[in-house]
Amino acid sequence: MHKRYFSSLTAALFLFVTAAPALGASSELPEDIEWLTNREDPVFASPEAQKGGMYNTAIASFPLTFRTVGPDSNSSFRSAILGNQLSLIGIHPNTENIIPELATHWAFGKDKKTMYFKLNPDARWSDGHPVTADDFAYTLEFMRSEHIIAPWYNDYYTKEIDKVIIYDDHTLAVVSTKAVPDLHLKIPIGPTPRHFYGELDESFVQKYNWKIVPNTGAYQIADFKKGRHVMFKRKTDWWARDLKYFQNRFNVDYVKYTVVRDFNLMWEHFKRGKIDTFPMTIPQYWHVKSNIREVGKGYIHRIWFFNNTQQSAQGLWLNQAKEIFKGPKVRYAFAHAMNIEKVIDQVLRGDYYRLENGYVGYGRYSNTDIRARRFDLAKVTEYMTEAGWTRGADGIWEKNGLRFSVEVTYSNEEHTPRLVVLKEEAKKAGLELRLQKLDPSAAYKKVMEKNHDVAWMGWSTSLRPRFWEHYHSVNAFKPQTNNITNTADPELDPMIIAYRNSLEEEERIRLSIEMQEKIHQIAPFVPTFMVPYVRHAYWRWWRLPGPPGTKHSSDLFPPFDSRTGGLFWYDEALHEETKEAMKRGRPLEPVTNVDKTYMMPFLK
Amino acid sequence: MKPFQNINPLTLRKMRRFKSIRRGYYSFLIFILLILISLFAELLVNSRALVVRYEGELFFPTYGDMIPGTVFGLDYVYETNYRQLKEKFQAENSGNWVLLPPVPYNAYENDLQENAWPPFPPSFKDRHYLGTDVVGRDIVARLVYGFRIAIFFSLGLLLANYTIGVSIGCAMGYVGGKFDLFFQRIIEIWSNVPFLYVIIIISSIVVPNFWILILIMAFFGWINITWTMRTITYKEKAREYALAAKALGASNMRVIFNHIIPNTVAIIVTFAPFSVSNGIVALTSLDYLGFGLPPPTPSWGELLQQGWANMWAWWIAGSVIAAMIVTLLTVTFIGEAVREAFDPKLHTVYE
Repeated sequence: MHKRYFSSLTAALFLFVTAAPALGASSELPEDIEWLTNREDPVFASPEAQKGGMYNTAIASFPLTFRTVGPDSNSSFRSAILGNQLSLIGIHPNTENIIPELATHWAFGKDKKTMYFKLNPDARWSDGHPVTADDFAYTLEFMRSEHIIAPWYNDYYTKEIDKVIIYDDHTLAVVSTKAVPDLHLKIPIGPTPRHFYGELDESFVQKYNWKIVPNTGAYQIADFKKGRHVMFKRKTDWWARDLKYFQNRFNVDYVKYTVVRDFNLMWEHFKRGKIDTFPMTIPQYWHVKSNIREVGKGYIHRIWFFNNTQQSAQGLWLNQAKEIFKGPKVRYAFAHAMNIEKVIDQVLRGDYYRLENGYVGYGRYSNTDIRARRFDLAKVTEYMTEAGWTRGADGIWEKNGLRFSVEVTYSNEEHTPRLVVLKEEAKKAGLELRLQKLDPSAAYKKVMEKNHDVAWMGWSTSLRPRFWEHYHSVNAFKPQTNNITNTADPELDPMIIAYRNSLEEEERIRLSIEMQEKIHQIAPFVPTFMVPYVRHAYWRWWRLPGPPGTKHSSDLFPPFDSRTGGLFWYDEALHEETKEAMKRGRPLEPVTNVDKTYMMPFLK
Repeated sequence: MKPFQNINPLTLRKMRRFKSIRRGYYSFLIFILLILISLFAELLVNSRALVVRYEGELFFPTYGDMIPGTVFGLDYVYETNYRQLKEKFQAENSGNWVLLPPVPYNAYENDLQENAWPPFPPSFKDRHYLGTDVVGRDIVARLVYGFRIAIFFSLGLLLANYTIGVSIGCAMGYVGGKFDLFFQRIIEIWSNVPFLYVIIIISSIVVPNFWILILIMAFFGWINITWTMRTITYKEKAREYALAAKALGASNMRVIFNHIIPNTVAIIVTFAPFSVSNGIVALTSLDYLGFGLPPPTPSWGELLQQGWANMWAWWIAGSVIAAMIVTLLTVTFIGEAVREAFDPKLHTVYE
């Protein structure tokens, strides 16, 4: 297997040497670049893995289209399709180094906005066509087309990605419009098959709704019935199956997504074995609902896997444009009036962890010394008294006709139990929370227009901490920006700009850590919970490697996804054994695994 | 002087008839009793003590401002926890005492425990007679205060609906002609608006409070009674007594308010109990769907929702379903009895 990899590598080199001069002076490959590759990082799949079997899983609704751009394409099923589209390079989920995907080699340009790639000459589309440099040039053409009706992509591929330079069929460069830190996270675009789409026109959206687009990943859609199911089939002759970081992965022959419209119903399907795994992160399912015979008799196993990945900044975002939150003391008092620990211990069964800071899990970019302010009545009294407030007849703080009473806007029904406990506890501290549950889009609108007192929400994560969007003063006091706390701090602003402009990793890390401390001092955000793990229940015949996931796994059973997907496999012998045991009612050993290999060090 | 001298003998007969229908009459008494209990719920179901005797002084914390713990020599300034205070006084045995209501919890507080997670099953020891919900709030308290809100909500809604519906219906019947035609079309259009969706949309944008919710629901709820009122008014208007009043020179207002409406009361009254139960069901279903009164307002719909999501915690769904059955049955029995007692066939003789 390794031999084949090497031979393809030499082929690529050979091709590069012979073909480059032929293209002429207009696209001359710079001489002084250093080609890099990575064959040293450890693999994370298991050599024991066997191919075969069918993996059954469920989706809540059938996708409205198989397109991944354009109207109605942003459903959760999109990730199943994109999971089978490789990029030029990938990121190793444990070491975070670059690893090959479609490209075997890569190089950084001196201008800090260009990256050069050598494609794997073996790379094939699912219809047998070779993947060439032109397919990447076509990605830009495609994404910039007005016919795909995707303004965000039109914009991104115009304003962020400048151009693709083709040197020959297997050598190319991708150029960013500006020099950015971590260029390798931005540049690796995916190919788009020109031979399939050809010239785009107005009919694109209609025409490609249910077309199965050629892909480069391990599976392709083989069958589907609208409203019912989608079946993916493994490509037995997949071009990348023997590459180091793809070996022993993507093992099942078929992956079937069945539409089950209700979460409770999914659980029933799982109990009957109609679907193979079930997410167990919700405390109720892990502690109560999974106390069933199948688990007790060991037919269904459970796993609790700690990861170490970027945590969503979930919590209470205080709007500093509101009179009440103008002074820092009141914000400190607010933070000390939130009894998050009680909610975790007595409502969430101690399953969640306290989020200490808005930037947890960003590796060296995270400031792990910061501790969120804890529930402390004495400190609330101290800060409020210093700020000139007094307690009113109903026990709530008052000052000049203003009551310490704020509206908390949220949208998730599931969070009501947490908020009612916080509300009752806050009352002890002399703070009244008025809960306002809105429909998600109404809540989003209210927060984006900065009309909230306190927003109860979380942000999606990114690979590196982002500060400008959330804390820079240019985004404060105006609607439709992510600075929902209206933070405008003259000391913080220059740091944010320096961080944004710096291309030096060490400097960025230092600034990131300093800024987190600074934000902690400003206190516009009360961090609440994090869930630094994933839990599943799965039928016994499904096997996982050891360790069962990667540092960045947020799911142990993703069938696709080039980064962390497809690590599990089907064990036919175990299946037969389990079926036999179930038939006779013979109990097997119940298994609940807790894996802390990648647990965040400060949680241990 | 007899107490009911001013009451129409026909009405007296109807009342006697109503009393003679045992099932309806007792339901009525039970229903009134429930409302009375819920009105004084603070004395029966409350975390605040009824009476506290501390250092020779008597305190009555039930109504009025909160009393901080420091007043009773405790080390905190937030509201006194009277259950703990009672235990403390009992342990000290110093002549201080606390008298707690039979259910010593309010509808909002979370009675959480170490190393155990709500919902907690019914327990006489903890005085959670029907257990707690998923955040440790006492279910009896949630039910009682939820009942109070639901019943006054539906009475308020009834009043609003009937005021609008009766006025418009009556006017349509009495004025007739183009006015009638015009309103008929308006109502036809109005009744085709899918009102549940409209309420859901409105309450997902603004968080409704008690009065706003009544307003929104009355906005669509007045229609039903209009048709009936219109028809009766048409009928009554053409009868001799109305014509006679008119001939004697009575104004339209006088004819409507002194002659026609009193004669339609019998019909309105028979509809009322069913409207009350509809009101309760409507509020409960909205709360169940999460579009009713904002949390943490005690509500049956929310309990029902919790019960559905946590079927194994039988006491949640069990309590609220039992409470709903009792209330709705009582109201329906009253409705039946009223309908029977007010049945015109029993009181009029056709010639």
